[in-house]
Amino acid sequence: MQSLADYIRLYFIIEAQYIKARMQYRADFIVSSIGMFFSSLATLGVFWVILKSVPDLAGWSLMEMIFIYAFYMIAISPMQILFDHAWNIRFHVREGTFLKYYFRPLNMMFYYMSEMFDLKGLTQLFVGIALLIYASVQLDIDWTPLRIILLLITLFSAALVQISIIVAASCAAFWVVDSYPVLGLAWKLREFSPYPMTIFDGPFRFVFTFVIPIGFVAFYPSQLFLRPEEVSPLVYFSPLVGVGLFAITYWIWTKGVNSYSGTGS
Amino acid sequence: MRAYIPVARATYMIGLVYRFGFLFNILGNLVYLGVAYYLWKSIYRYSDTIRGLTFNETFIYVALGSAIFILLKTYADWIMHFEIREGAIATYLTKPIDYQIYALFANFGAMLMNLTAITVPTALVMLFVFKVHFPSGLGLVLFPISLLLAFLISFSIDYFVGLFAFYSESVWGLSITKEIIVTVFSGALIPLPFFPDAMQRVLLWLPFQAIYHTPLMMITRPNQGLDIFLSMILVQLIWAILLFLLARLFYNQAIKVLRIAGG
Repeated sequence: MQSLADYIRLYFIIEAQYIKARMQYRADFIVSSIGMFFSSLATLGVFWVILKSVPDLAGWSLMEMIFIYAFYMIAISPMQILFDHAWNIRFHVREGTFLKYYFRPLNMMFYYMSEMFDLKGLTQLFVGIALLIYASVQLDIDWTPLRIILLLITLFSAALVQISIIVAASCAAFWVVDSYPVLGLAWKLREFSPYPMTIFDGPFRFVFTFVIPIGFVAFYPSQLFLRPEEVSPLVYFSPLVGVGLFAITYWIWTKGVNSYSGTGS
Repeated sequence: MRAYIPVARATYMIGLVYRFGFLFNILGNLVYLGVAYYLWKSIYRYSDTIRGLTFNETFIYVALGSAIFILLKTYADWIMHFEIREGAIATYLTKPIDYQIYALFANFGAMLMNLTAITVPTALVMLFVFKVHFPSGLGLVLFPISLLLAFLISFSIDYFVGLFAFYSESVWGLSITKEIIVTVFSGALIPLPFFPDAMQRVLLWLPFQAIYHTPLMMITRPNQGLDIFLSMILVQLIWAILLFLLARLFYNQAIKVLRIAGG
């Protein structure tokens, strides 16, 4: 069993090689990054068009929506960049190539996910950071050291929530092989996380807060910076939500990995 | 033409295999309906009509838009990327069939499958769960024609983008960019009337509005004169023919660069 430092060192070695290999396809990187740029801004475009016709969205101004959206873009980036290999579990399970991940003295989830590092996801991360800075300046957010620490903690937790939802959905492959429909649904839900959760009522808000907590990916944690005086106590639980959800996902992953028996050939 | 009908039948039957997938697709669509309902409900908090559309009209437009989105999104480009990259296209080239027509019918079969498995259930949910009131009128009669033309336009755009696989391995970015342009500028995400006026004028000159906006307006506003509907269908027809021929021209160029490794 390696230490955390060993894992981090190993990760950098693996990804350095991976990036070198990917850079053979420079045109692909550029075109994919452009595609990522447009696709990651689509929902913001929807908010922009809507807010041209009405003054606010459930009480949130365009600039506040940009802040929430920027938070969302940064929060989903680790999932996109570091866990993109989740989409391929179904291929490995079907073809039987998933077996190779059992034969290394490494944490299996680490080893499996390290095989891919999604470069185009960096576009989303950088656009998110740029938008967050822009919106903060426009909204006059006072970035005290305490707030910056709070931002890092909430972003870390939000990233864990998003990673957990996608990885848990991809684990369906261990039982039903074709996990694409489940992943597709999880992917669609991801797009709703920058919506103001206050527009929903009844079962929708309950599900998005407590069952598949996409509200914790962007909307709830953003409130800590936009309207700290109105924050509901629920928001302070957001670091716990991320860690707790990841623990559940890791448990599902372990169950799945242990139940997989190969293709028999 | 007769040779291609079994192709459509086959892709329709393939769809039946993925019943598990449809379940999640319908579920995803229902969640989207709910989200769209609450989103637009909160937008219509202050006024009954925005940009000339009532809440009911906007909800029909958006909800039905998501239901026909599944029909009109053909995945032709993704399938072609795969067939061209893996060399599977060679099997079609050695047969006396036209690849474009073949692809059209293959996607048509899948479209019919999605119609029965996803679009009809979604429309029923709109009717019985969300209690949407569909206005009646001439537009409803012409809607199927408009939808068919929209399918042709959507297919031609996807097929056109798919042909880039002859030139480059990096097609993910192209397809994603195309998908975003089509969904945003066609009215599939937000009704076209919500766009700023200057943008709307530009968008009406592009083929994307003929995919979603035109058929959706026929359902949302079915009480218009025959001449208005005919001119809408005429615009769709022109785009359908133009894009189909353009894609054909591109294919004739692209096929020249094809090299398939033997094996």
